Amino acid sequence: MLAPPNGREMIMTVVAGRTLTAPEVVPGTALPEERIEVSPTFVVSTAIATRDFQDVHHDRDLAVAKGSEDIFLNILTTTGLVQRYVTDWAGPEALVRGVSVKLGVPCYAHDTLTLFGQVLEQVEESSENRLVLEVLGRCGRGEHVRGTVRLVLPEVES
Amino acid sequence: MSGVSGIASIAGIGATEFSKESGRTELQLAAEATRTALDDAGLDPSEVDGMVTFTMDTNTETAVARELGMGELSFFSRVHYGGGAACATVQQAAMAVTTGMAEVVVCYRAFNERSGQRFGQVQPAVAGAATSAGVDNSWSYPLGLGTPGAQVAMFARRYMHTFGATSEDFGRVAVTDRKHAATNPNAWFYQRPITLAEHQDSKWITEPLHLLDCCQESDGGVAIVVTSTERARDLPHPPAVVQAAAQGSGSDQFTMTSYYRDDLTGLPEMGLVGRQLWQQAGLGPQDVQVGILYDHFTPFVLVQLEELGFCGRGEARDFIADGAVELDGRLPINTHGGQLGEAYIHGMNGITEGVRQVRGTAVNQVDEAHNVLVTAGTGVPTSGLVLSAE
Amino acid sequence: MTSTASSATAAKDTGPARDNESVHAAAERISAAGESRPRPGRDPVNLPMIHNWAEALGDGNPVYTNAEYAETSVHGGLVAPPAMAQVWTMGGLHPEPAPDDPMRAMTAALDEAGYTSVVATNCEQTYHRYLRHGEHVAVTTKLEEVTGPKRTGLGEGWFLTLRYTWYVDTEAVAEMMFRLLKFRPADGDEPARPTPEPAGDNTADESDPRTGSPILPAINRDTAYFWEGTAAGELRIQRCGRCGLLRHPPGPMCSECGATKPTHLVACGHGQVYSYVVHHRPPVPGKELPLVIALVELDEGVRVLGELHGIDPDEVHIGLDVEVFFRQVDEQVTLPCWRPRTEGK
Repeated sequence: MLAPPNGREMIMTVVAGRTLTAPEVVPGTALPEERIEVSPTFVVSTAIATRDFQDVHHDRDLAVAKGSEDIFLNILTTTGLVQRYVTDWAGPEALVRGVSVKLGVPCYAHDTLTLFGQVLEQVEESSENRLVLEVLGRCGRGEHVRGTVRLVLPEVES
Repeated sequence: MSGVSGIASIAGIGATEFSKESGRTELQLAAEATRTALDDAGLDPSEVDGMVTFTMDTNTETAVARELGMGELSFFSRVHYGGGAACATVQQAAMAVTTGMAEVVVCYRAFNERSGQRFGQVQPAVAGAATSAGVDNSWSYPLGLGTPGAQVAMFARRYMHTFGATSEDFGRVAVTDRKHAATNPNAWFYQRPITLAEHQDSKWITEPLHLLDCCQESDGGVAIVVTSTERARDLPHPPAVVQAAAQGSGSDQFTMTSYYRDDLTGLPEMGLVGRQLWQQAGLGPQDVQVGILYDHFTPFVLVQLEELGFCGRGEARDFIADGAVELDGRLPINTHGGQLGEAYIHGMNGITEGVRQVRGTAVNQVDEAHNVLVTAGTGVPTSGLVLSAE
Repeated sequence: MTSTASSATAAKDTGPARDNESVHAAAERISAAGESRPRPGRDPVNLPMIHNWAEALGDGNPVYTNAEYAETSVHGGLVAPPAMAQVWTMGGLHPEPAPDDPMRAMTAALDEAGYTSVVATNCEQTYHRYLRHGEHVAVTTKLEEVTGPKRTGLGEGWFLTLRYTWYVDTEAVAEMMFRLLKFRPADGDEPARPTPEPAGDNTADESDPRTGSPILPAINRDTAYFWEGTAAGELRIQRCGRCGLLRHPPGPMCSECGATKPTHLVACGHGQVYSYVVHHRPPVPGKELPLVIALVELDEGVRVLGELHGIDPDEVHIGLDVEVFFRQVDEQVTLPCWRPRTEGK
């Protein structure tokens, strides 16, 4: 998914694809790398879409006055991106049971966020066979997020 | 001079790009690197009759041979002990060529070490294995010492205590490597040098090691073609002559945890490699212009300088602080950026840099690099090479 | 951004000490108040907000926005993205202060003590089920833990751990552990500037303990005596049955005389730290980090590794007198561990 430099148009990830099944995925499976151009529009629109109106996410002057270099992504968006990155790969009917994020450096406007991921393990939780995935998001300043997603995949093709 | 000295040469080198996520199988990486190395050597896959890799490599010699369309192989061999195997693959190849067991030998190593199995993470399975190695690891892993970084940190703390070395002394190695990587377009950390302050500010991994004391985790593959020096002379590049090649394991040796020797401030197995290299090559430390020293963790670079005779015990920190390892210094090290800066391909990318220095084609070329020393993994049974221009 | 070292020692002068007391008192009072009253979200779960979210984040999953697709999917109808759980109850542009909000009360107490800056560090969300359009979500908040003061890369501060629970009627549908750092910026009047990590590699995870089974040793007939010893509260060292050589780690054949008749002695359990590390990352299954691991030279002359407990990592030094104790990790395995040697023993 990309935001063009003018930030006016977002290209939606098209997820018309099938959903992976549990037997197809083994620990160690890597997810394809994805780059997100973090335009000011992206920072602002995601902040508002997550109903986060803190000024550091939409007002550059105030963000700088508070010691930041620019406006930056809010945590609800980072959480949402980690979820989306995994479901984009797994397919529309993958069930998300949990998303955990640990935040590192802020992801400022005009930076590029690169997401990496891999399947860490399979666990039995709440009588379900769940996959635990690790997702890393790096931007120019270093590691922005280290996330864990718990996912349930269908056992067979629907 | 003795043994294999001078009889075999490296005629070709090849590598894939170095990344965090290659997006392809380890076999494909091995095959691509091998093809590139053979192209570099001007040889056809059908001319290869020997292959050597690490026991840790997941690609069998036969699988790589099939991908390349190689024919019959008369020699295949593997070397154990992780990164300690790197230079020993070339030693195996040189011995095979010298004894006539094979004529053209490919040494390779390829892995998705970042996107697949990461060596920097704790791998519980290695302690439980019903092997002597599993039992050895049972004296460290269950007790909380379960990563290579933590295992090296234990040596580093004792070294600091004995010689008064500091974290900054270790940090200078990282700064130098990253400076060299910054001008190497193939390095992961191309154009990203660091300062000593950044090293000091980087987070703790295992005290006394900061993040920036630890090498990267990388995906990639490297291959090296060894043949007789005589044949190499007719190939496109000038031969990088294997002037010396040695392995070493010390007394009371463990893999990463040789904690039970009288002294923890040295790497006797590397001392043994060094003594053999100088003896085989008829050279000494003063005759070497470039050092490619295995740098998975910075402290062992200091210990190697001492074990190999470039300075006295406990003096490496002054040797480094005086600028000796810089490009214009007495012994420029890791001119490609090392594993801290270029990529962690288990030491094999260090050998290719040694070849480029001897050929005169390195990005950070050292003037009159006639003899280059290359070492393999530290803290484990290890190996080393002296490569020379003719 | 995690704490780089914990300051276990008491603050040095009375001012900060008084502040610390006031923070602890506030933490106790606010935690004791328990869960806040449920605060309902402004709107029920609805398509327009989901659509805005999906559009902004670039999420094209049709189970969120394509009714036709959703009907035939595993969900049987449109659902909300799980990661939107918190969005439903965000305060919006003009949030109404909830008087019993523990987050607000605790941050006020910390502001007063001079810890004025804030940065979120962790957020762990668990989704019990997917939400459907029209469901009305309410959230409760509870202060779970306040730890500090800790020295961090950003300055001295306190970690607050809060638990949020989202309900539909009385059914808990999602939960979140949220941790933030309230800190006093490192350079006095400088504004808080999150410190970027220098570009390095991701060798490691953060230092939070990760759940996982502890790593167990491989035990065979050469080494069983050692683990039987730890289970019985003894630190056993292999001793050659012929020449008496003491050896650890052990092996089946005496490296000195070649005999294959090992016996053992029970060590007195005293020694000195020969070297040590403080492990911060990556996570080690079954261990809480940071963890001190010491290589101890026993009075008997051999070295044994083990966790070192009962001492601040900053206080550990080579030469420290330690004694063994034992910690059972599962039915079969007990590990030797070290602690500073107490006086008079």
